[in-house]
Amino acid sequence: MSATVQRAAPPPDRAGAPSLEARGLAKRFGPQLALAGVDLTIAAGEVVALLGENGSGKSTLVKILAGYHVPEPGGELLMGGTPVPLPVPLEGFREIGLAFVFQDLGLAHGLTVIENLFVAHRVRGGRQGPARPIRWRTERRAARTVFERYRVDLDPDAVVGELRPTAQALLAIVRAAEDLREFRAGAQSGGVLVLDEPTVFLPESEKGFLFDLVRRVAADGTGVLFVSHDMTAVREIGHRAVVLRDGRKVGDVRMSDTTDAELVQLVSGHRLRTAERQPSSSPTQEAAARASDEDVALAAEGVAGGRLRDISLTMHVGEIVGVAGLLGSGSEDLPYALFGALPGARGTLRCAGWSGELDELTPERAQQLGLALVPGDRKQQGAVPALSVEKNMLSLVLGRYVRRGVLSHGAIHRTAVERCDTYDVRPPKPAADLAALSGGNQQKVVLARWLELEPRVLLLHEPTQGVDVATRAEIYELMRARCARGVAILWVSTDFDELAKICDRILLCAGGVITGSVPGPPFTRDRITSEVYATAARSGPRQVGTG
Amino acid sequence: MTTDTDELTPPAGPGAPEPAAPERRSWFAGRGRLLESAMLPLAFVALIAGFGIDSPHQFLTLANFSNIFGSQAVLFVLTMALLVPLTNGDLDLSVGALSGLVSMVVAVLNVNDGLPVVWCILIGLAVGVLCGVINGVIIVRFDVNPFIITLATGTVFGGIQEWLSKEQTIVGVSTKLSEWTFTKEIFSIPIEFYYGIVIMLIMWYVLTFTTFGQRALFVGQSREVARLSGFRVNRMRFQGFAIAGFVAAISGVLYVGTTGSASAGTGANLLLPAYAAAFLGLTTIQPGRFNAIGAGISVYFLATGVSGLEILGAQDYVQSLFYGVVLVIAVVLSRLVARRRVSAGL
Repeated sequence: MSATVQRAAPPPDRAGAPSLEARGLAKRFGPQLALAGVDLTIAAGEVVALLGENGSGKSTLVKILAGYHVPEPGGELLMGGTPVPLPVPLEGFREIGLAFVFQDLGLAHGLTVIENLFVAHRVRGGRQGPARPIRWRTERRAARTVFERYRVDLDPDAVVGELRPTAQALLAIVRAAEDLREFRAGAQSGGVLVLDEPTVFLPESEKGFLFDLVRRVAADGTGVLFVSHDMTAVREIGHRAVVLRDGRKVGDVRMSDTTDAELVQLVSGHRLRTAERQPSSSPTQEAAARASDEDVALAAEGVAGGRLRDISLTMHVGEIVGVAGLLGSGSEDLPYALFGALPGARGTLRCAGWSGELDELTPERAQQLGLALVPGDRKQQGAVPALSVEKNMLSLVLGRYVRRGVLSHGAIHRTAVERCDTYDVRPPKPAADLAALSGGNQQKVVLARWLELEPRVLLLHEPTQGVDVATRAEIYELMRARCARGVAILWVSTDFDELAKICDRILLCAGGVITGSVPGPPFTRDRITSEVYATAARSGPRQVGTG
Repeated sequence: MTTDTDELTPPAGPGAPEPAAPERRSWFAGRGRLLESAMLPLAFVALIAGFGIDSPHQFLTLANFSNIFGSQAVLFVLTMALLVPLTNGDLDLSVGALSGLVSMVVAVLNVNDGLPVVWCILIGLAVGVLCGVINGVIIVRFDVNPFIITLATGTVFGGIQEWLSKEQTIVGVSTKLSEWTFTKEIFSIPIEFYYGIVIMLIMWYVLTFTTFGQRALFVGQSREVARLSGFRVNRMRFQGFAIAGFVAAISGVLYVGTTGSASAGTGANLLLPAYAAAFLGLTTIQPGRFNAIGAGISVYFLATGVSGLEILGAQDYVQSLFYGVVLVIAVVLSRLVARRRVSAGL
């Protein structure tokens, strides 16, 4: 283990070396260069914010550090001045002095704070050795010491799942910081804590606790890489900002020398001209004004629940309405709320002559109203990989294939063969398990499944996630064709390039409300990005639902 | 709802497609699938041939086959009871005890209370459905793990059975019932065998040729997909338990007919053989799906194995060993089948 080596003989000339120094990190996915040779330096005790929109290469960079991606040859990584062979071995990042806190925190919700805090000891057998009994009193004392050190107020015996989201985030960060402390064990400094979008789901008023903790961790000599979309958070604690765009580093600036506008410009590559912004009329007014319109496909008012606070929107026949927002803005909950699939959703919906409360709406009822939902998480929510393509594709319309009380599998198969041809599903073998298809083809099956119902309104959530470029183009084509036939489409995506290409209208979402719309068309990705960041920064303290 | 694209999930950045499984569904793979479906029936034939060659005079006799096919009806029907919950992704561990309870209800009502046997049967079936409904309500209403709940309710059913029996074997049930289950024979096989076949065909129809059965597949594979598809997941699971209760009750009635009696503790001992057959059935006919015909063949495959071993001089304990080992093998085998299907792109 390199940690031990380092401890045994600390090379004197490396005392002032940065905690992490990466040179020329690159990653290619097929023909696409997701990361095109990026340098990154993090000094001991420094908080570096990593900024960039979706697809800019941030997460690829983080995943290379975590050992999840194998970088292209030629990259270099030095930890505390010591070269580390790439790729980082999977699960081997601890040994080189890295610790990660991802957005999902990686805590076991049913277990107590202590059990979660010292989980690393269980893995390695710990100080006591694998066979020695765990002395819970000692553990509890140790936990208290740890919490005192970071001045965090956590009850060691509390069950993690019952803690507030902020307390959970604190615990996860303390745990990671402790891992790094143990890695150092004697050396003065070293180690880098990577925080990947840690503030997304935290209420604004409590983010301060998290920032205090991060500052304390950094004060111990730990370098921090803070990956975030959250401009306010980045401003608050970052010393330096590294901005990625299209896989390249486009900015490496000291936070104190940079304005918000400059940061947004770096991220989006587009200068935000305030004069150009046209605050759209209040969405409610808009809805009221068009209420009489014949061509309203769907009108929703006061939609709340999940991360949504109060959203009203009207969709017209044959229109593609994009919703752009950062992760945690609420936009990701909107399609589910409108489909009656978000528990606890409130608000009213008017659609296909029906009008009612969202809490009475079920997915079954929504279907009858001509709504269709294509969920973002294909594997968990969109389709069943272990069932055949034809079963997945036609499971919503099985009733059509019943002949005298008997389901005709032959008829299903024949229809599925036709659909595979129509939607260009390859290989066109409907009897194969869905799992055997590529991501893009699976997504076509999921879309075909819902299009089979001839919906009047399509609610799409990240419909091209994990889909290759060629298939994306096909999906856009398919959706445009449906639109031309009068289908209204709600398109929620964090891929702003996609929204720019496909949408007739783009709404901005931040803090659970629609804050306006992007001027246009035509739209550009840069424009949408800068609008989204600007509105997110302006939306101020967010009262994000923490349940 | 996983909405993020920035997690340790497959990269969602531009141009990061998921790898396509290699396309190699060749001529052989196509045949392989057919072979896979036919594996158990072939093993069945081989088993009969093996035992037949070894001891033709005892094994290859009409009496022996009549015995094998006639003696398994209770287990056969009980196995069918498992299929709807299993397809829904639910384990029902109470069906064995439920079957035993129903047999006791029928016997006690007929012998102790002198109720006409037809009424006894109807009440018995109603008790079975009621027990299934209780399972379903608890599990669906409170969203609790069916495994542990049916383990508990099964114990309760067993307790009631024992209580009704007053720790005695109830004998002397109307011979009308035995006549219509066991005594009457068609082609030297007791009539209850044919009841079992009819129930199997109905199960096959329900699971394969109705929208209910096809939706159940989705409920079993992914509750979330089923929910977002607008399927009434809770109602379907509830119906599954009720159907299981009803079919298990039929097996209880057949038990009374077969033995002319009821005693405490019966039924529960059939639970493991029933699961062994259901999981073995997963590997055949429609590999990877709980299917009625596969399960039905499995019941007789297992019974033939036990019978053959007994003729070879094996002791009673062999039955437990055999069923237990087969269940382990069947579960592992079905897992391998599922994996192979994915990798072969079938």
